[in-house]
Amino acid sequence: MSLLLLAPALLLVGVVFLWPLLRYAWLSGHAASVLTGLVPLANGGANWQRLLSDGRFWQDTLQTLRFAGVSLSLELLLGLALALLLHQPLRQRGAVRAAVLLPWALPTTVMALGWRWLLNDPYGPLNRLIQGLGGSPYGFLSTPATTWLFTVLADVWKSTPFVALLLLAGLQTIPPELEEALLLEGAGPLQRLWRLTLPLLAPYLLLAALFRLAQALGVFDLIQVLTGGGPASSTESLGLYAYLNGMRFLDFGYSATVMLGMFLLVLLLTSGLLLLRRGWQGTLR
Amino acid sequence: MTGWFPPLPNPARRLIAVVLAFWLALAGGLALARARRVTVGVLMPAPFADATAELVQQFNRDHRSVQIAVSRGPLDTEALSDLAISSLLLGDAPYDLLLMDVTWTPKYAAAGWLEPLEPLLGDQALAGMAPGAQAGNAFAGHLWRLPLLADMGLLYWRTDLMAAPPRTTTELETIARGLQRRGAVSWGYVWQGRQYEGLSCVFLEVLRGFGGQWLQHDAGQAPQPALQSPEAIAAANWLSGLVRQGITPRAVATVSEAEALQIFGAGEAAFMRNWPYAWRELTRPGSAVAGRVGVAPLVAVPGEQAAATQGSWGFSLLKGSRHPREAAEVLRWFTSEAVGRQLAIRYGYTPVWTSLLEDPSLEAALPLLPALRQGLLHAELRPLTPVYAQLSDALQRQLSALLSDDQPAALAMARAQRQSALILQAAGETP
Amino acid sequence: MRRPPHPLLLLGALLWSLLPLLWQLLTSLRTPEALVAPTPAAWLSGWTLANYRQVLLGQPPFWRYLLNSALVGGASTGLTLALAIPAAYGLQQQGLRLQRLITLLLLAAAKFPYVLLFLALLELARALGWGNQLLALAVPYAGLSLPLAVLLLRAALADLPPDLEDAARLEGLNLGQRLRRVLLPLLAPAIASTAILVFLFSWNEYPIALTWISRAELLTLPTAMARIAGSSVYAVPYGAYAAATVLGSLPLLALVLLFQRQIVSGLTQGSVRG
Repeated sequence: MSLLLLAPALLLVGVVFLWPLLRYAWLSGHAASVLTGLVPLANGGANWQRLLSDGRFWQDTLQTLRFAGVSLSLELLLGLALALLLHQPLRQRGAVRAAVLLPWALPTTVMALGWRWLLNDPYGPLNRLIQGLGGSPYGFLSTPATTWLFTVLADVWKSTPFVALLLLAGLQTIPPELEEALLLEGAGPLQRLWRLTLPLLAPYLLLAALFRLAQALGVFDLIQVLTGGGPASSTESLGLYAYLNGMRFLDFGYSATVMLGMFLLVLLLTSGLLLLRRGWQGTLR
Repeated sequence: MTGWFPPLPNPARRLIAVVLAFWLALAGGLALARARRVTVGVLMPAPFADATAELVQQFNRDHRSVQIAVSRGPLDTEALSDLAISSLLLGDAPYDLLLMDVTWTPKYAAAGWLEPLEPLLGDQALAGMAPGAQAGNAFAGHLWRLPLLADMGLLYWRTDLMAAPPRTTTELETIARGLQRRGAVSWGYVWQGRQYEGLSCVFLEVLRGFGGQWLQHDAGQAPQPALQSPEAIAAANWLSGLVRQGITPRAVATVSEAEALQIFGAGEAAFMRNWPYAWRELTRPGSAVAGRVGVAPLVAVPGEQAAATQGSWGFSLLKGSRHPREAAEVLRWFTSEAVGRQLAIRYGYTPVWTSLLEDPSLEAALPLLPALRQGLLHAELRPLTPVYAQLSDALQRQLSALLSDDQPAALAMARAQRQSALILQAAGETP
Repeated sequence: MRRPPHPLLLLGALLWSLLPLLWQLLTSLRTPEALVAPTPAAWLSGWTLANYRQVLLGQPPFWRYLLNSALVGGASTGLTLALAIPAAYGLQQQGLRLQRLITLLLLAAAKFPYVLLFLALLELARALGWGNQLLALAVPYAGLSLPLAVLLLRAALADLPPDLEDAARLEGLNLGQRLRRVLLPLLAPAIASTAILVFLFSWNEYPIALTWISRAELLTLPTAMARIAGSSVYAVPYGAYAAATVLGSLPLLALVLLFQRQIVSGLTQGSVRG
């Protein structure tokens, strides 16, 4: 009886998450592209061979990892700072929380379009500021060496509130008595952070990291609207590459292969994080 | 019955019968006509939809049995392509006709999304069009598309800053540098350098201007990329040199048609590469450069013919259309001389019909006509292959790196060559 | 012992969050000429509402996208809750091992980068004829939101006193009555949190809406915004973009102001314990 209550939800979740993976596994063994008239024809491991020797896939993998790693660490740092700030007594607590939360609630495409204007060369406000200070405008979105940093900026702006709120919830579970005890011992703020707050916050940090890591590795909307993957494909992510292969090049077999490759990457990294936690909990005990 | 009413005299009865029959026939006829009224759905980029709106209204008034319903799509070529592809993949294309870019034809045809046109329109559908407009509509032995308007790259120049437009690459550099040095303009030459299809168009023109080719067709062999040829490297080097010398702003790596027009339209550049549509924007009242703009063919090295990338928009008939015959009729109407003339007069669209291109009476409305005619003579087609999107994408990546990263041209072109060869090879191997 | 934060720090945090949005507001009120004027000094002139007019009178008008997003959001939220509440209850009744297994799977799904799914879901839409059916989007959205929703609700259920249901059972209430009269009222705060999170997700979802919907009048807000980015050659319509950004943000601003408490508790509650 209780299984019956559970079944419809599990069925839908299965269809939405599991079926695509099975389908990709099957498609990745086939040539299904514009050249076959979109009809799947078995081609052995040709897609996988191509993936292994596809420089662009590996470049995009590195770029995606770089993006995810840097934005994740910045978001954890800034999120912690923001959470500590919001944890202090505030007047207008609700309004402040809402203001801080707003960037996270906006659709990614809306805010990516906004950043495109903020970073415009030469008319965006940042370049106006630079010019006002006597500099010459900077190609925020046209310099392959640095443009990815600005995709990180946009992502950090959007996702830090999410991390901050998770951590804020963690902070609120720390009994104030513990902090007072440390205070009586004469521990400074940094010491309190290090000895008390961080250890107790660890599960929350890990949770935020897990959530954000998977989402950052799957980054797509932000890149598509902000840079389209350019300049010189220096910001192209795996998600965008898979999308291009499917929707623009009409090569579904290879698109499916790229997505499976990406899935394996996510699996590897998240299980890495979880193993890390296990080792860590072991030492705590 | 007869008990209720006094019997009618015979003539009156006959009259009633006739009137009844008339109304019945009329109602039936109307119902029949209504049932036979066919609506042909057309997807086009929003500006084309706006430009043809009045003509379509007229068509709908004149034709009882066929009506046209236009859907407005985005203008950005790639966005429209994504949109069309997702409707086709969904298997629920609510359209019969699709207005599409010249480079999509082989891809769509190979995907089995298009209906060949020659059974409906005959083998001579293209006869009477300028040769430059005829190219790119047939692929693999079938006609898939009829052009609505021709499009080609043009060099816009400032008539107040120089006596005559440059004809060679060196002349262009000299004039631009001179003007920049004396502070007449901030930039010499703006063009489309963002990583997108426009960059491939720009490069193809320069490549041809240096005597190079994108794909090399040797008899009896599959086409091979020729991007590592000395001409191709020189062409790439010229483009990146423009940026290095400051003739073209470094921001060109983010510039598409709109941004180029913005810079040139603000009077900040001496030259611009753009499509014919820019003319109307630059000459409309209120434009900062109105009356000071001329149009010329693009530049080439001495001894080579300047080429213009052909970028026409044309209609294709989608497979699965429920009324292919009526759709073909609409297609023929859209691409007719009469519509072409109206679009040329009202919106400055480049006609595809030779008769219009050579019509002196049209020149008053379209001062650009001689330049367009000239451009169509040397229109250069991008490679006609179902994997064109991949080829162009590979080229854009390397060119973008070249422009924004100061990569050596030889290296960028070697990479582009290798990737293009891989793409063509994979395409050749596919069963 | 805790002191209020330094006002400058607080101001910094607020500026960081709000300044980019305020700049959009400013941009949306400027004429195209004022936006590209060589000096921004001319602050007195160049103000206009034309950008809003352009966006609101567009074809289709902008509110249409907001309406579409709201419809999809509402339908997805309803469907998700209708499936998630019984599921959370059912999960709570399972044996411990099965509970752990299902919870683990749901957690994995909740953290899945769902952009990976679009190609297969597109095929699904084709097979079922669901392309360009606005409300059909609610099905994948519900599927994507369910893991988090079930986890959230189950955590709330676990917090209820265990004897409560037994007492209700002894009173002779059947399952439906127990759910309706006892559990639902007690779960209301958790349901509200779940609902707002699901709604936000559906409102903002992009890759699936991008591939399932191709007709302009059916676009949801995120896809419409992305399409606006490629809609005009004649000028770079940053003023119009900005106006669209502002209009697109307003409903969310309202939501966040009204429901920030629920959002916060939803984000933090079940997900941690699940």
